[in-house]
Amino acid sequence: MTGVWLAHRIAVSLVLAWVVATIVFLALHMVPGDPAELLLSTGGISPDPASVAELRQKLGLERPLLIQYGAFLAGLLRGDLGTSLVDDYPVLHEIALRLPRTLELIFAGTLLAIIIGVPAGVYAAMHRGGTFDRCASGVTALLLAVPVFVVGTLLVLLFAQTLRIMPAGGFAPFAQDPLLHLKLLALPAIAIGKGLAAVLFRMTRAAMLDALANDYVRTARAKGLAPGRILVVHVLRNALNPVITVLGLHMGTLLGGTVLVEYVFNWPGLSTPLLRAVEARDYPMVVGIVLTISVLFLLINLIVEMLQAALDPRIGAR
Amino acid sequence: MTLSRRTLVGAGLAAPLLASPLLSGPAAAQRASGILRFGLSAFPPNLQPWVSTGASAGTVKLLTHRSLVSYDNKGQLRGELAESWAIDADGAWVFKLRQGAVFHNGEPVTADDVKWSIEQIAGEKSTAYMRTQFQEIERVEIPNPQTIRLVTKTPQATLPSWFGNYNTFVIWRKSTPNEPIGAGPFRLAGQERGTSLDLVAFDKFYKPGFPKLKGIRFIVYADENLRNAALMAGDVDMIEYVPWQSMAAVEAEPRLKLDSVEGPFMDILFNGTKPPFNDPRVRRAVAHAVKREDIVKAAFFGRGKPLEGLPIVEGTPWWDKDLARGWAYDPARAKALLAEAGFANGFQTTLLSTAQFGMHKDTAEVVQQHLSAIGIQCELQLPDWSTRVSRGSRGQYDMAIHGVSADNNDPDGLTVVLDTSLSPSHGRSFKVEAPRTIAALAKGRAEFDQAKRVEIYREMQRAALEEVPLVGLAWRSQGYGMNKGVKGFTNLPGALTTSSGGMLEETFFG
Repeated sequence: MTGVWLAHRIAVSLVLAWVVATIVFLALHMVPGDPAELLLSTGGISPDPASVAELRQKLGLERPLLIQYGAFLAGLLRGDLGTSLVDDYPVLHEIALRLPRTLELIFAGTLLAIIIGVPAGVYAAMHRGGTFDRCASGVTALLLAVPVFVVGTLLVLLFAQTLRIMPAGGFAPFAQDPLLHLKLLALPAIAIGKGLAAVLFRMTRAAMLDALANDYVRTARAKGLAPGRILVVHVLRNALNPVITVLGLHMGTLLGGTVLVEYVFNWPGLSTPLLRAVEARDYPMVVGIVLTISVLFLLINLIVEMLQAALDPRIGAR
Repeated sequence: MTLSRRTLVGAGLAAPLLASPLLSGPAAAQRASGILRFGLSAFPPNLQPWVSTGASAGTVKLLTHRSLVSYDNKGQLRGELAESWAIDADGAWVFKLRQGAVFHNGEPVTADDVKWSIEQIAGEKSTAYMRTQFQEIERVEIPNPQTIRLVTKTPQATLPSWFGNYNTFVIWRKSTPNEPIGAGPFRLAGQERGTSLDLVAFDKFYKPGFPKLKGIRFIVYADENLRNAALMAGDVDMIEYVPWQSMAAVEAEPRLKLDSVEGPFMDILFNGTKPPFNDPRVRRAVAHAVKREDIVKAAFFGRGKPLEGLPIVEGTPWWDKDLARGWAYDPARAKALLAEAGFANGFQTTLLSTAQFGMHKDTAEVVQQHLSAIGIQCELQLPDWSTRVSRGSRGQYDMAIHGVSADNNDPDGLTVVLDTSLSPSHGRSFKVEAPRTIAALAKGRAEFDQAKRVEIYREMQRAALEEVPLVGLAWRSQGYGMNKGVKGFTNLPGALTTSSGGMLEETFFG
């Protein structure tokens, strides 16, 4: 991995982020819907057009689109994403508050997926064709096939509404109530992690089976090494390389999955304000959040590429 | 990252523990502390006292602010910052202010604050919901510190009800725009944008013994099913907008109760600038073509009532049994009206609604089906709500489905949906000619004699049945679900249901 390679990747990521921000900014302004009218029409009521015009003026929406775009870019260069059209709240503050929660959800889901998917994949490969292997393969197909919002809704119905052993959804800060925080995190983490657990299970199982078929494993057995040592040192270590790559790539896609999960469980991450902002045509908020998600996605991909380059020097040299 | 076997086993054991009943928190803890946990359907876009930002925002504002009047649990006006009000010999409204009322900062509520608030609402740069009405006030006089006199440009019989609207509060006149200081029974102690709001009782509230709760925690559940699940699970004590499909489950649950009324309604709007809907006979044909029971069943799971006339609340003096069925389902009559208008073979048109709200989409589908039976073939247009609003106010539609509440239970509260001479809006028909209806509304607004007003509004209904500025479809039930231990709350009747949040002042745990 060379400095030039890294600089090139970062430059490409920055250009992509700018393209995304520009497309979102322009697309939002092109679709029908006036933020001022929408704000004053909340609840289906009919606002006075004079009030709407006054609000448009206050929000700066009467300016030509190019001027608005220029102001947006200038703010972006200063690290200012603007303020919400709805309540004048700084977009950066909103993102700073909610991004850690979205990341926490993703990391909790990923952790859960690793804890379940990897050991289960190892076990299934070690007992190929056995009852567990067959059952687990069926279950993973089911987990991959059922949409995340269906799983989420079922979890709420079962654990909250029927059994009443878990809260239906919401959020409590960890510092305020750690136990409640973990309880509220559990169901959404399961919902978001279930698909990744299935992927990791399949990937681990396949990689383990490949590794187990290698000559060096047969040699290790012939040398009389303990089965546990063969598994950990010779098989798992080699099998985990592709699993880590898949894990990194899927963490990026989990960002998209959080939109539904956060909505279903009322988890106040980035998704709620994003959906609300789209409905309200709150341009600065939408662009700010989408830009953040895009940068995160690009960052994760960059890290994965760097990891790959570190593991395989041929990638960094290209 | 290297995971040891011990780590894996430990994590594996911890995961099911998270789901253990042992960790389920005691739901009664909040109740013991006198804090009501309320499941709100939407986070208020903002809490500006005079800007309409929805009923959920109204619920919060009704608790943190006060106006001259409010509604009691029967839906009648009662004094708040005003002790009494009357019309004087010159036709001006005179309000006598209550003594001892203070704002949350301890400053007394004065006639100057009332005057300043009215002027802000009516101001040229105002974005207040009641701006148009308040601009009818010619001047505000303060004959003495406890009296305020409102001189209007034209007689306004319903002026006191303007102050009952949840976008008409009296604010301390030295407040900054972003921190309006009110005189409500609760004050805002904290909020997390988009998630929750915490109110605490205001200890200097002017009504002794009120509020009865020590505080209210509003938790936002935008998804109606999750909001209902939170109530069923005991996460909250009370929710608004119980989904229609869940009302039976709430009623069947021994721990819970449902308080529902029929207040909001669904209707059809028309674009009156072009054929065929510029012809009242065609609009009447549409009115007679739709079987409302199907809408109540399909869109509201039976939780509503057919609306075959204007949305006048049954039981009020303005309601008339025959007029209430003026657009009764009669496909033969609908076809005859179409033929009379020159559309014997029907026509093709569009029906604008939105896919974002199930009740709008389901209602549109039932309407489409029934109109098809008389020869009107509708192409459904179901954009998102924002686009629906935009197209509605610009007249970019033929027919549109809408759902709303009147401003109050007085027929004058229907002006906002019936008076098509007002500026275009997504919530009323686009430039439909209805001169007799509009004239009757104006006449009723200027008449102070109750018996004469009743007759005027009957005439208004007769005119509207012929001119058809809108077609009523269905009343829809609006319900609050709550734990049976929650007492003292009343869902206000009819259109006032959206103002029921004010009743939380009288709510307590029993």
